[in-house]
Amino acid sequence: MTEMDVTRADSSIATRIQAYAGAIAMVAVSTLVGLWIAPRWGTAPVDMIYLPAVLAAAALWGLGPAVVAGVLAALAYNFFFTAPVHTFRIDRVTDIVTVLVLLIVALVTSKLAAGIRSQARIAEAHAARNATIGGFAGRLLSLSRETEIAEAACTELRRLFDCNTMLVSELPEPRIITAVPAGNRLTPSDIAAAALTLESGERAGRGTNRSQPAEWVFSPVRSSSAVIAAVGLARDDGHVAVEDEQLPLLDNLLDQLALALERARAEADRSEVSSLRERDRLRSALLSSVGHDLRTPLTAIIGAAAELRCNDSKNPALVATLESEASKLERYISNLLDMARIEAGAVKVRTEPVDLVDAVAAAIKDLRATLAEHEVAVDLPSTLPLVRADPQLLHHCLINLIDNAARHSGPTGPINITGAKGTSEVRLTIEDEGPGLPQERERTLDTFMRIEGSDRKGGAGLGLAIVKSFTEAMGARATAANRDAGRGAVFSIRFPKSLVVDAMESADAG
Amino acid sequence: MPARAPKVLIVDDEPQIRTLLKATLGRAGYVVVEAANGREALSAKTIDKPDLVLLDLGLPDRDGLELVELMRGDPRSALIVVSARDQTEQKVAALDLGADDYVTKPFDTEELLARVRACLRQRLASETDQQVVEADPITIDLLARIVRRDGKEVHVTPKEWNLLAALAKHPGRVLTHQMLLRSVWGPAQVGQTEYLRVAIRSLRQKVEAEPSQPRLIVNEPGVGYRLMPNEP
Repeated sequence: MTEMDVTRADSSIATRIQAYAGAIAMVAVSTLVGLWIAPRWGTAPVDMIYLPAVLAAAALWGLGPAVVAGVLAALAYNFFFTAPVHTFRIDRVTDIVTVLVLLIVALVTSKLAAGIRSQARIAEAHAARNATIGGFAGRLLSLSRETEIAEAACTELRRLFDCNTMLVSELPEPRIITAVPAGNRLTPSDIAAAALTLESGERAGRGTNRSQPAEWVFSPVRSSSAVIAAVGLARDDGHVAVEDEQLPLLDNLLDQLALALERARAEADRSEVSSLRERDRLRSALLSSVGHDLRTPLTAIIGAAAELRCNDSKNPALVATLESEASKLERYISNLLDMARIEAGAVKVRTEPVDLVDAVAAAIKDLRATLAEHEVAVDLPSTLPLVRADPQLLHHCLINLIDNAARHSGPTGPINITGAKGTSEVRLTIEDEGPGLPQERERTLDTFMRIEGSDRKGGAGLGLAIVKSFTEAMGARATAANRDAGRGAVFSIRFPKSLVVDAMESADAG
Repeated sequence: MPARAPKVLIVDDEPQIRTLLKATLGRAGYVVVEAANGREALSAKTIDKPDLVLLDLGLPDRDGLELVELMRGDPRSALIVVSARDQTEQKVAALDLGADDYVTKPFDTEELLARVRACLRQRLASETDQQVVEADPITIDLLARIVRRDGKEVHVTPKEWNLLAALAKHPGRVLTHQMLLRSVWGPAQVGQTEYLRVAIRSLRQKVEAEPSQPRLIVNEPGVGYRLMPNEP
């Protein structure tokens, strides 16, 4: 804009001189034509000769040249063509009228023409401004990264306003994102001005009534909801960077910048989400591949041990150890993978109505080798409601709790598995007659694990942590306590009312 | 059992698993054919005409479920899929696609052999042999539509009978929740898992010695149910 204005200012003096010269020349030409006509056809048509000159001057060059043309025309007409000729005296009334008409024509026409011209100029300025905004927006739109957009915006603003530019962001400490030319530093009062703009969304700094000692003037870049950045402008010569009449243009440009930045941020968020998803997918893939790699040799070992047991029973105790240790290892691996899945946030919960009879029976079946020597009492009344649970997660919880009970109740200790419906929950408890927990009070598994840490033997910590995570993932709760009567620990999974299915009467429905 | 030994095709990309399965199945008297990938499996299926295919779902060259689709629907050859423990969805998908049963790695050898026997029995037996299914303490007479417990007739509701019959028609084989719901309650009710749970529970009250520790109608968590018949 400024370069344009400078050229306009330079050229306007020249054009004005040209305009006045033109006006004078036209009157001169009209006079010559009049002097040629008058001897032949009389002075009557001569006043008409001046009229085009005055009209043309008014239309082409505006008020000043038109008035000059009108006055000169009147004087010339008076001097050359009215009696007494070659004087400025006017004797006849008609001649006075002619002079007045010429002056009025000059005034009216120039006024009209000036109106039209100024409207044209306004339209032209609008078009130029729209083109500027459009070009600016277009340039930013072709970019997708925030830093690129900031860089391009600063470069463009520098070109348009002929000043140093920078983009500042991040409260509470304003930080220069981009500066053009690079390497611009901010004084403390500049930083204060930038902070003021970022905070209040108002212009601040040089040339405003806020933070005047600053060298820069900061304007807000507003998104629909917040001030997302501030643009600083400054001139090396210390003059105000942007004239008042250019502020609306600047604001328009900054609106475009805000849109571009918002779009870039939304896009960055989207790609971050998809990269997170990709990372989760990779994690899951990694976990199943690790699971596969660990389980394949284990499958071969367990299977080979079973074959040995059948074919070659020279040392059955050793084979039995091999089998039981391998199946323990299988459980540890399973737990490690479950834990990894929990920590990776990759636990999927798919609940369905589950009969706890089914869940307990399946867990006991999978643990039959471990439980061979234990007396397991199962008390699940036939009136126990179904509960909503993820069968797979519940299975892992029960395996861990029953295995834990078997481990702490001695090699042949009894284990009681009981289901009961309370007023506000359905509770499944697993009791052992081992040494019990050191605490008296009932605790959530969480507290229990925090206090116990890895003290309980045999990696119980991991198993119980999995129980806690999985029950919580299903919306249930796990607790640990000591038995009311006698020695031993009681672990419970509690299904709140919201997970209890009351549909027993629908047995023969449908 | 037919005169010739049944032929089993083992499909697994891990050689140590093939070695193991070969030993286990060989001991049990089966003829074993091996394939290390999907391509070999499909050609062995055509050339060797196995009575049963033991298919690992995690093969390097073909999607396991795709292979199930290609191999199913052959009445002369049963299909058991082998998968990792934590892939319930995949197991259910394979069964729904037509696999006869599944085993989970690491598998219990005896359980594996029981599954193989159950699948082969059904493929090889004629229809009439299957009319009475023995599963102590009960006997299910599919033709007379009668279930006896220790010789005495047990009264079951029509839904319970349909459920028991569906299980008894495939003794020892797992049937998914969806299959059971579809065949007993109809296709519109396949989502109503609680109908199935409740009916299974009331059936267990009538046929199981200890309904809270069932041994006849056995649950596979997240997959389905199987009726455990007497081993011949």
